[in-house]
Amino acid sequence: MLNTISFEAIKTAVQQWLNMHWGPHLAFIAECILIGLLVIVFFAVLGLLLVFMERKVSAVMQIRLGPNRVGPKGWLQTSADTLKLMLKEGLTPDGADKFLFNLAPFLIMIAAMLIMVPIAFARNFQIWDINIGVLYISSIASISVIAILMAGWSSNNKYALLGAMRSGAQIISYELSAGVAVITMVMLTQSLSIQDIILSQQNGWWIFKGHIPAIIAFIIFMIAATAETNRAPFDLAEAESELTAGFHTEYSGMKFALFFLAEYINVFIVCAVAAILFFGGWMPFHIGNWEGFNHIMDYIPSSIWFLGKTFCLIFLIMWFRWTFPRLRIDQLLNLEWKYLLPISLANLLLMTIIVVLKWYL
Amino acid sequence: MDSIIFYCIALFILISGLLAVTARHIFRAAIWLLFTLMGIAALYFWMNVFFVAAVQIIIYVGGIVVLIIFSIFLTQQAGQKMAVTSAKQSVFSVAAVLFGIAFIASIIGRFYFVGRSETLNDSVNAIGTQLMSFTNGYALPFELVSLLLLAAMVGSILIAMKHKTENKNN
Amino acid sequence: MSIQQYIKNVFNAVKTLLKGMRVTGYYFFHPKEIITQQYPDNRATLKLADRFKGEVVMLHDENNEHACTGCTACELACPNGTIKIITQFDITPDGKKKKALNTFVYHLELCTMCNLCVEACPTGAITMAQNFEHSVYDRKQLTKILNKPGSKIRAGVE
Repeated sequence: MLNTISFEAIKTAVQQWLNMHWGPHLAFIAECILIGLLVIVFFAVLGLLLVFMERKVSAVMQIRLGPNRVGPKGWLQTSADTLKLMLKEGLTPDGADKFLFNLAPFLIMIAAMLIMVPIAFARNFQIWDINIGVLYISSIASISVIAILMAGWSSNNKYALLGAMRSGAQIISYELSAGVAVITMVMLTQSLSIQDIILSQQNGWWIFKGHIPAIIAFIIFMIAATAETNRAPFDLAEAESELTAGFHTEYSGMKFALFFLAEYINVFIVCAVAAILFFGGWMPFHIGNWEGFNHIMDYIPSSIWFLGKTFCLIFLIMWFRWTFPRLRIDQLLNLEWKYLLPISLANLLLMTIIVVLKWYL
Repeated sequence: MDSIIFYCIALFILISGLLAVTARHIFRAAIWLLFTLMGIAALYFWMNVFFVAAVQIIIYVGGIVVLIIFSIFLTQQAGQKMAVTSAKQSVFSVAAVLFGIAFIASIIGRFYFVGRSETLNDSVNAIGTQLMSFTNGYALPFELVSLLLLAAMVGSILIAMKHKTENKNN
Repeated sequence: MSIQQYIKNVFNAVKTLLKGMRVTGYYFFHPKEIITQQYPDNRATLKLADRFKGEVVMLHDENNEHACTGCTACELACPNGTIKIITQFDITPDGKKKKALNTFVYHLELCTMCNLCVEACPTGAITMAQNFEHSVYDRKQLTKILNKPGSKIRAGVE
């Protein structure tokens, strides 16, 4: 690569330094701790950034100004909020199942952290290139449903229980069409590994190479992803106007903050997955065999490509949230079972035909 | 190092399995069952069979435990503690456990764990071809299972379907 | 539901959703549309909407004359007893008694800014002002006397 200061270079340098100064075992343990710390710091920064972004985007879309008092242009608003949440008392209701009540926010964070494992942030910068990357992501994502159900049940609150039930029904149904959309793309790449999927987009992103079925799959994936992250217009699980706050009604202080953070982490993750599957992850914008053009695109660092794509998709999801009104539960299930699932299955068939006949570019 | 991790996972599975049986809140029992199943998935990860591990999580954690929890939610009195088991029940359950241990121990004692040198190819491609090939694979059981699932789905739709004539009588 | 209807539904849904997104998207990319007033900061340049009503005032001209005849139409029109008018009898030059305004008492704390008094006034003596900074430490200060001391009715207003 041309750029000498890349994430890959930093990674190799750190690895070499550790292995040179300490033994291989110690270096391995040190690397594990380092990665853990990095993920936690990344989560914190991401949470602060995304909450701020959401508040600003929502404000401008509603012709407001948004936070603009704390720090320059309001940049420190979310840090101040976090500070406030940290200082608050973490209440546990008297009738709650205390063990499960306190476990749920951590379980949801653990699930979010585990999903981070196979995501490639830059060229050769990935925690673990597991050979079933995409399947791994969708399997770990199903753990967070349990955490939500656990939170709703153990709060001993009818709003929380209703919210958890809705959330469960919603996530289980939308997992199907999200999964089918992912399978549609996996058929093109013929590998589940994130690294392989990105490398197969060397001569163009799949959304362009896979044309019609890829675009349909992308739309379905984005809808299902919005539903799976419990965000408006699918935020029935925490519908403020009817269920106060849904499954996290009884949570306060830092435990509430963990749920809040997990929501935004999940948004980042689904957008990162969409960026990897449809827009080539960290792969720069390449067009076929235009060597000159591709070469110019390579000058932009791969991490910027990845984060840029991901944040564009996050913006899209925020745009959904601040435009559409909330669905009713029957409309929600109708949308999934009568529209998204049949369409995505038909789309899968279409993609099969295209892959077999090699009609993709 | 490897065996330390194995014993940690095994201990985790055993403890959470024991708690799943002894928990007196039915919801907690379901959660402990969930941890047991996740521990087993961790064991698969430890054995480097990632596909099986991911499928274990998808099916058992994401599917079956969620269904169990849902059915717990829909039952009444799910929040109450279950009654303490009577002495008679405990005796029989201990006997059943002892029988199970003896049965498995006898099987292990007869066949033992045979180490195999061949490496397992667990790539999704290999599993897929094996599953669908007619000559050397599992095409027939695969199709039979799909038929069974289809029958189950038709049955569930039939149960859930509203009978219009009955509704009129109501 | 026929297949045609199904496909039509899908297309309609996508179309209407995109229409909605166009509106919010337009606002996002045109920050000049923002209507938020940063009130204490822009106190000097604050612009209020024409329809905004802050309190009832009585108009006085440069000779300290108002147009109130003391007819109490506003007092009668007020739905919650905000206005209390105390009248007196002036002696006109030709020796006749004539009803006139003594004190126009206005209870701001009771007022709902409904504008009915302004509409009831036959002579246009009172109107709605746009001042909204009414906070005081004592409730008594909200009871105001609208006619200025020493003011009298403008000649010719009946």
